[in-house]
Amino acid sequence: MKSDKKENFRSSIHTTLSDPPRTWSRFKYPQSLIRYILYLVIFVFVVYSLEYLNVPVGRFFTMFGRLGDMMTKKYYPPDTSYILNKDYLRYVLETVQMAYLGALFGILFSIPISWLASFNVTPSRRWAYPVGRFIIMACRSVHEMIWTIIFVIVIGFGMFPGVIALTMFSIGFAGKLFSEEVEAIKLGQVEAIRSTGANPFQVFVYAVLPQVRVAWTGISIYTWDSAFRAATVLGYFGAGGMGWYLKESVERLETLRVSAILLSIICLVVVSEVASAWARNKISKMK
Amino acid sequence: MMAQSSIKKNHIDIILQHRRRTKTIRYCLYALLLLLVLWSIEITIIKDTDWERIGGLGTILKGIARFFPPDLSLIKYLFKPTVETFMIAFLGTMLAILLAIPVVWFGAHNITPSRAITYPIGRAAMTLSRSVHEIVWALIFVSAVGLGAFPGILAVSMRSIGFISKVSAESIEDVDRRPIEAIKAVGGNTFQVILFGIIPQVIPVFIGNAIFQWDINIRRATIMGLVGAGGLGLTLERQLLMYNHQGVTTVIIAILLIITLGEIISYYARKAVI
Repeated sequence: MKSDKKENFRSSIHTTLSDPPRTWSRFKYPQSLIRYILYLVIFVFVVYSLEYLNVPVGRFFTMFGRLGDMMTKKYYPPDTSYILNKDYLRYVLETVQMAYLGALFGILFSIPISWLASFNVTPSRRWAYPVGRFIIMACRSVHEMIWTIIFVIVIGFGMFPGVIALTMFSIGFAGKLFSEEVEAIKLGQVEAIRSTGANPFQVFVYAVLPQVRVAWTGISIYTWDSAFRAATVLGYFGAGGMGWYLKESVERLETLRVSAILLSIICLVVVSEVASAWARNKISKMK
Repeated sequence: MMAQSSIKKNHIDIILQHRRRTKTIRYCLYALLLLLVLWSIEITIIKDTDWERIGGLGTILKGIARFFPPDLSLIKYLFKPTVETFMIAFLGTMLAILLAIPVVWFGAHNITPSRAITYPIGRAAMTLSRSVHEIVWALIFVSAVGLGAFPGILAVSMRSIGFISKVSAESIEDVDRRPIEAIKAVGGNTFQVILFGIIPQVIPVFIGNAIFQWDINIRRATIMGLVGAGGLGLTLERQLLMYNHQGVTTVIIAILLIITLGEIISYYARKAVI
């Protein structure tokens, strides 16, 4: 075996000396073949799905002209007086409140759920871990708009279904990040607290929470930020907030108002993103 | 030792005072937060809800019971939209990868062509793409290119450009400088520096993020149909319009299945890349 390898090595040196490859390439024979096959498969799948979905690829290039046309002719002077009136501003405030409450409830719920769903500190790996995982998975995979529709059907229009939908969204969002953070902690402290005879709950409070506190705060702010982003359009499906105005204007084809509302959404989200980035930066420095 | 402790005593007093002050500030902050929460609850939940329509727990349970059992006769119609959703997510991610390349190039501070002009453009594109919700993107594209899967693909890709390019630009910004210097030392131009010095270092991050986004894009693709782009959302919308709530449950189960599948694939794909 060893001599075989040596022989191989020698022969490779020999060939390189006698016949140097013309160009350097990063990947050698079997790897490069797999790579090309992978590219080919991806390319074929792209073409096949374009075919299957009947996508008018030609329109992609003419789209920009039409989009520009549309923006300048139909949407251009945004109706700013509309977004500055008092009613609309009240709805903006309500959107902020809705996002705030939804994120808060979601974070509060996801603390125990992420305790169940972290493999290293879960009270029982047999039943609690899969249950926690499943809750997070289900909340995460159903889109927040579908949650909104469901809750609007069950409890009617208004901001309450929006808050519940955002709670579900935040459980999925924060729960996953929370439990990932818990799974990365040092187990020394956990062992120490456990060896003093603490029950799983005490272990969680005294060994796990202090280690993840800072990271969780950052994640919570991020959750709020994302919840706000979602809250701006939740109203489109019947929950309260600015999305309701958006739907109204879209369906009446009042494009100038639509562009004004979109503008206000973008501004608000950028503001919230800058604020959340600032706060997260500050918190991570505190660590 | 003694002298030190006498000096330190003063210090300790200062620290204790400081601690007391931060504690007061913290409790004030907590109280403020609590008030804010109560105020929000009052406005959004207590005042804005039609409690009579909700009624008691019984009516809520009745409302939930309308969704069960799932309407199994719908299954045979679900295959095509599921495949479509999958493809919308896939094509959207592919397009996002293509479109993210110039954005990354513009938005990474150390390789941007001009720090005064292109850098802000790249950053603005990232923020814009991330800050507008996919529903809004879909609305814009449905009015620009018409109904069908195409606006869904565009909307999904627009939404994910921001994330892919932001993370990739950040990883380009703290790239290892030594390979770049080596390539400069052998006479490589800027293009060659980027191609051979930077891209090999960040490609795993880029691809990993693209796969992660693909996973999320399946989620996004499931709702594109609600505003007129194709996929499972269209089936969902149809069931909603027919008040067939049991069918809604079936569609949601299909969504759960497709997303679980996507998560499993993306887990193994990311493992293979990194």
